[in-house]
Amino acid sequence: MNRDQLVEELKQQIIEQLNLQVKPSDIVAADPLFNEGLGLDSIDALELIVLMQQKYRIKLANAEDGPKVFQSVDTMADFIIANQTPQAG
Amino acid sequence: MFINGASAISPLPVFDAVSAGVNVVPVLTQRGKVTEPDYGSLIDQKLIRRMSRIIRMGVATAMDALKQAGIQDPDAILTGTAYGCLEDTGIFLKRLVENKEEMLTPTAFIQSTHNTVGAQVALLLKCHSYNNTYVQRSHSFELSLMDARLWLTENPGSSVLVGAADELTDYSYALLERFAQFRNQWGGEGAAYFLVQSESNSASWARIEQIYTLFQPDLEEITAFATKLSEEQNGIDLLLSGMESGDVNADQYARIHGFIGEDIPVIHYKQYCGSYPTATAFACWLGAFWLKTGKVDAGSLQLNAPKRILIYQTDSMGYHSFILLKSC
Repeated sequence: MNRDQLVEELKQQIIEQLNLQVKPSDIVAADPLFNEGLGLDSIDALELIVLMQQKYRIKLANAEDGPKVFQSVDTMADFIIANQTPQAG
Repeated sequence: MFINGASAISPLPVFDAVSAGVNVVPVLTQRGKVTEPDYGSLIDQKLIRRMSRIIRMGVATAMDALKQAGIQDPDAILTGTAYGCLEDTGIFLKRLVENKEEMLTPTAFIQSTHNTVGAQVALLLKCHSYNNTYVQRSHSFELSLMDARLWLTENPGSSVLVGAADELTDYSYALLERFAQFRNQWGGEGAAYFLVQSESNSASWARIEQIYTLFQPDLEEITAFATKLSEEQNGIDLLLSGMESGDVNADQYARIHGFIGEDIPVIHYKQYCGSYPTATAFACWLGAFWLKTGKVDAGSLQLNAPKRILIYQTDSMGYHSFILLKSC
């Protein structure tokens, strides 16, 4: 899966996980997820951390990294690409 | 205490009954789902997405009752629910099993507790006042009302938001049906909230004159209460009865009807809202609505200028409750 596909997949998963009433095309990948933009809050942050663990098997080692990682769909995609374990075979 | 604002969501489309009117006709179904209003105008869109059905209908009726009474910050919020937030509880438990007790998401867990509806109302209002939820099977709503009455006795000038909510989910419907719960009466759900105060005003719906509950009483106890009620009240115009078709407690309902007067017309309110533990909250809304409009209009039964409506319900567990409403 290339980066663009990952971004689109993330948009879809965020909508499903958080039950957002928007379409993937409504989410701008570079826009902030919290406060402005989609207006997500701290409960949503926990949902996104679980999403990342369940779907991509990536654990956020340092809680301080959270605001940077979950800044936008773009930053989430970059973090996943940088931390994903290469598939065997 | 006086009902100065009231709102209900039920299988019958009653939410905007005061402005739009309501055709009170029996609902023919096996599983009654509430007719939901457009929540967009009542609850912030960003918050709705996280709310399950029981929370949405509870919050919407609470906000509507407050709006009618012109109150923004009630002094107490009291809620009755028998089953609580079943949908969120089901989601949480399912994920608990599927994910082998790991990586559980917070939303369903946070919202699975019984006091979520009252808590959400308080959060939306930023209300830090007394907030309590009563979970006592079919007495859940009645106990909330009793607490409201106690609160108003101690704090006469205050406002209390009191109501009840219960939902029927796919799981609970399947389970309750397996226990033959809906053999005689279709399964229902709903929410109703009331803004009550110790003084009436021009917007008042009705006065709650009596609330009385009994648990597994002997015949003498219940006979004494029903006889006393009948003598004291000097004329009850309508009995809103919780009796279901083919009810195993039909004799008990008939006995109460006999005590208060066999010639008093009866309406079985569960034909409109279905069977669920806090259905008396709907009956309370319906009775108050008829007293406010000055007319009982239920198809073949029409009554003009009703003054007193008695709500009575009992069940096979031995819970009995009486709520007497009086016109203002």
